[in-house]
Amino acid sequence: MALSKVGVVATAQTEFRPAWNNAQHIDLISSVVTSVFKGSGLTIDDVDFIIDSGSDVLDGRSISNCGFLGALGAHHKEEARVEEDGLWAALYGVNKIRAGSSSVGLIVAYSKPSESNVDLYWNAQVEPFYQRPVGFGQRAANGIMAQRYLADSGLSSRDLADLVADRWAAAAASGKVSIDALPDADAVLAAKEGAAPLTELMFARPVDGAVAVLIAREDIARRVSRNPAFITGMGTSMDTHSVAAREAGRLSSAATAAAMAYRNAGWTSADADIAEISGSSVIGELLAIEALGLAAAGKGLSATRDGKVAINRSGGALPADPIMATGLVRLAEASRQLSQPETSSGGAPSRAIVHGAGGVGMQNNCVFTLEV
Amino acid sequence: MFSAPDSYPIDLPTFHSEINLPYTLTPGRAAGIFLAEVKNRRIVASRFASGQVVAPAQDFSSTNGEEPEAFVEAPQTGVLTAFTRVDGHVIGFIRLDGCDNDFAHRILAELDDIAIGQRVEAEWDDSVEQSVLAIKGFRIAPDAPVGTVKPLETMEEPLGVIPYAMKLDYEHAYGPYYGRMFDEIRENGRFMGVRSPGSDIALLPPREIDDVTHGRTGTWKACADTGTIRGCSIINMEVYGQTRKVPYVYAEIVLDGASTRMIHVIEIDSLEEAKERIKPGTRVRAVWTQGERQGRVSDIERFEVIEG
Amino acid sequence: MGRHVGIVGVGQTHHARRRTDVSQAGLVREAVDRALADAKLSMEDIDTVVVATGPVLFAAVNQPEKWVVDAIGAQGKSVVRLTSGGGAGFAGALAGYYQVAGGFSERTLVVAYDKLSEGQLQYSISTLYDPFWGREFAVGIMGFSAAYWRARMDVLGHTEEAAAMVAAKNRKNAIANPYAHVKKEVSVEDVLNSKPLCWPIKLLDVPPISDGAAAIVLSSEKMAHHSTSRPAWIRGMAYCCEADNAPERSLMLSEPLAIASRQVYRAAGITNPRRQFDVVEVQEPYSCFELNYYESLGLCPPGQAADLIASGATQLDGDIPVNPSGGCMGANPIGAVGVIRLIEAATQVMGRNETHQIKDAKTALVQSGGGWANLRGCAVLSA
Repeated sequence: MALSKVGVVATAQTEFRPAWNNAQHIDLISSVVTSVFKGSGLTIDDVDFIIDSGSDVLDGRSISNCGFLGALGAHHKEEARVEEDGLWAALYGVNKIRAGSSSVGLIVAYSKPSESNVDLYWNAQVEPFYQRPVGFGQRAANGIMAQRYLADSGLSSRDLADLVADRWAAAAASGKVSIDALPDADAVLAAKEGAAPLTELMFARPVDGAVAVLIAREDIARRVSRNPAFITGMGTSMDTHSVAAREAGRLSSAATAAAMAYRNAGWTSADADIAEISGSSVIGELLAIEALGLAAAGKGLSATRDGKVAINRSGGALPADPIMATGLVRLAEASRQLSQPETSSGGAPSRAIVHGAGGVGMQNNCVFTLEV
Repeated sequence: MFSAPDSYPIDLPTFHSEINLPYTLTPGRAAGIFLAEVKNRRIVASRFASGQVVAPAQDFSSTNGEEPEAFVEAPQTGVLTAFTRVDGHVIGFIRLDGCDNDFAHRILAELDDIAIGQRVEAEWDDSVEQSVLAIKGFRIAPDAPVGTVKPLETMEEPLGVIPYAMKLDYEHAYGPYYGRMFDEIRENGRFMGVRSPGSDIALLPPREIDDVTHGRTGTWKACADTGTIRGCSIINMEVYGQTRKVPYVYAEIVLDGASTRMIHVIEIDSLEEAKERIKPGTRVRAVWTQGERQGRVSDIERFEVIEG
Repeated sequence: MGRHVGIVGVGQTHHARRRTDVSQAGLVREAVDRALADAKLSMEDIDTVVVATGPVLFAAVNQPEKWVVDAIGAQGKSVVRLTSGGGAGFAGALAGYYQVAGGFSERTLVVAYDKLSEGQLQYSISTLYDPFWGREFAVGIMGFSAAYWRARMDVLGHTEEAAAMVAAKNRKNAIANPYAHVKKEVSVEDVLNSKPLCWPIKLLDVPPISDGAAAIVLSSEKMAHHSTSRPAWIRGMAYCCEADNAPERSLMLSEPLAIASRQVYRAAGITNPRRQFDVVEVQEPYSCFELNYYESLGLCPPGQAADLIASGATQLDGDIPVNPSGGCMGANPIGAVGVIRLIEAATQVMGRNETHQIKDAKTALVQSGGGWANLRGCAVLSA
């Protein structure tokens, strides 16, 4: 069954910084919730519901949404907390509008990993009896995925470093990510070991920030937005908890999610103009590119170069990973590239693939298709 | 332009906060038996109806959730199938002989000395019990004979509970509003809020955006250190992490000049007396701590009832 | 418009103070197996799964759905977790409802659980409070809940006696509930004489601490007949909030619950809740809350909750029985409670409640919530 259309009306995001030392969560949240309405003609009063993403463990508070309701603009509205990347919050919001009971929704995701220990956040996700005690967490999972990927694809660490450097350069050019010193490939290779064979710079860099995305029923979206991007497909799939039991060399849950989204949209990866993809490491990004059908297994790197589909023009998650918000940022980036092509070089794209991920070794994956 | 908070903070270090909790986790049958059996130096595995053997033992198949038909003993030898190094520890996947899955564990070797396909064997750590770390890790053992999966005729009772602790440290940023509020508390011993839009009454703690209207809040305003109780309860039970001796009163107090509640405590002599004397509407005043103020809510030691 | 959504299968564990024979994930599996069997389905028939739990700090596993997925055999499926403190189960069911209503799924499994024996309950709830502002004085959620009750006590007449009647009623009802684990009749006097913990809350006003899980299968209209000829249709469902420390927050009527019920009643055609509902299931984390719900849900006017409980109307044999299951007083695995209440109401309107069927029950009201009593929702179910 084809999805009825829900449009992205407006987006707002803070700058993504290694640390927003002079702002609290609520400062970042209320800032994007305030600015998302600018130019839309809508106000917070027009919003029927808020769906938000954030992590109690990162925030250092239980039911952290409960303390942020005012900043979220949720007072006396329907509100829900999806404790997963914000792209899943958007999925909830789209379902809610498609069900007909609401017409305008606000999706918010935020992150302040600078305030906590990111390794602990990840390690606390693995079951506590077998994997957690031996130190098997996000870094080990990505290290093992990388060791296998390099062996299978014949790529070198230098190849990975080149891609990382490109992504940072793209993020720097976008002006939306705070970068003190732009690393070149040599710097990426020379960085401290993250999880062999990956250096720390080959991992997505946790950053602080917030993003808000205003979505609406088709008629409202067309009325209030000049050229809204419509969400035409959504798919999500979670893999087994055991990284060791997952299909080696392939993010099969991302492939499942993508197949679902493409089926809804009625088109496939070859028809896309742009893709915004999340990766917990450079290997995660390459595996995601392949799982989304943008390249054959082991050929993800060439897909980032051949220009058929413009992948991660924003720089993606490697230079800026506001954990729990990264996928929603991809949605915001892609929808802006479609709706306001004049603001980014690259012609007038009409179709976008958006990808978000969660969990150790990207256990959970979510894919949206967007069209103008 | 992207959004950013509009006002600028007083330069403060971060606020340290700690969450430190003890747990008693139940591993379930499979992991419970595995963890009980490490003292016998046995690696317990699950065998499924298909004949697949999975080590360490699982209550549910990672492939499809199926439950095992039996627990068996896996050999202590196998082959390295993948590896990485994190914080100096080599972590690898080990396919134990006769098993159909990979066991994630530590590899007791330098990264440069290992390769996929190498034979490995478990090395035990006698000082560790009831943990997967009773296996210290797997060492390279080129000549280790190929082991076989054996039936487990008798086995230990599964561990019902294992102690666990989780300690999380945070360095919270104050931000512009809390920054000024706590600075005012420390420097001047006063509570500063910000006015609600179009109102003279302050929000305390202060914030940039009003919760109800989502409009921008107004100018700063000093609130009194006297106020009125909105709600209160008499705490007469001891709970983990508590810092005051029971009984005492937990009070939600609206300071004069503010419209929002702050939480604090009132000391009492007895529960019965407090029921009568302390209730919604009761007027209270702050009792500041002696000595240097730290710029925290606890610079107020407690509140006390304003008699009469 | 959205599609009709029905509850077509239910399952819950036999809740206990402490289960040392199963892990958190194994506990979830038990409820899922029961719900799937009840719906005459297997996991293969399920499109999407929603997991709901209380706060992560209850049990030391961050994003536990990523562990639980293996135990329920949902690998490869759409799995997402909702959390909303005490209302997590209800919030999860609402997310599942919209997955089906919005056409994303034909059948959605919602499973909610908490294994509270594994952590330090009140301390971990204290971390709900702002670390800068108030956490050091927090006493779990009980300190707040008692203060919230105290604020209403004189103004709305929510007396200790009235709350004790709620506790006695629910504890008595729990005796017949096969899934409850606290089954002891107490008198109003017993409640009043029990030890003050956070006065006015006393020991017997407080539900137990429980390990438990509960699951429901939600189905589209098209697929429902595979499972049952009499689904419990969701006629309306909403979950609203209020900013905790908004200026002049009313501690009297629950504004978010009043807003949610207005919305839900409009959708379900409820104009006279007292007469139209045959049975009500509410989440009363302390006895005093049930009084607040009577008024906020419009079962009686503000200030008359004490009269309502005293009249016997909400007893098992009254005209509007509230918590015939015993509510939280029989078992309180916090994150699961929203789903347990939905199960109890669903089985009533499906006409197959195991032990405490209300005769000819056709329309049921469910309430749930969490946070600082500032996250509140309700649903209307009918056959």
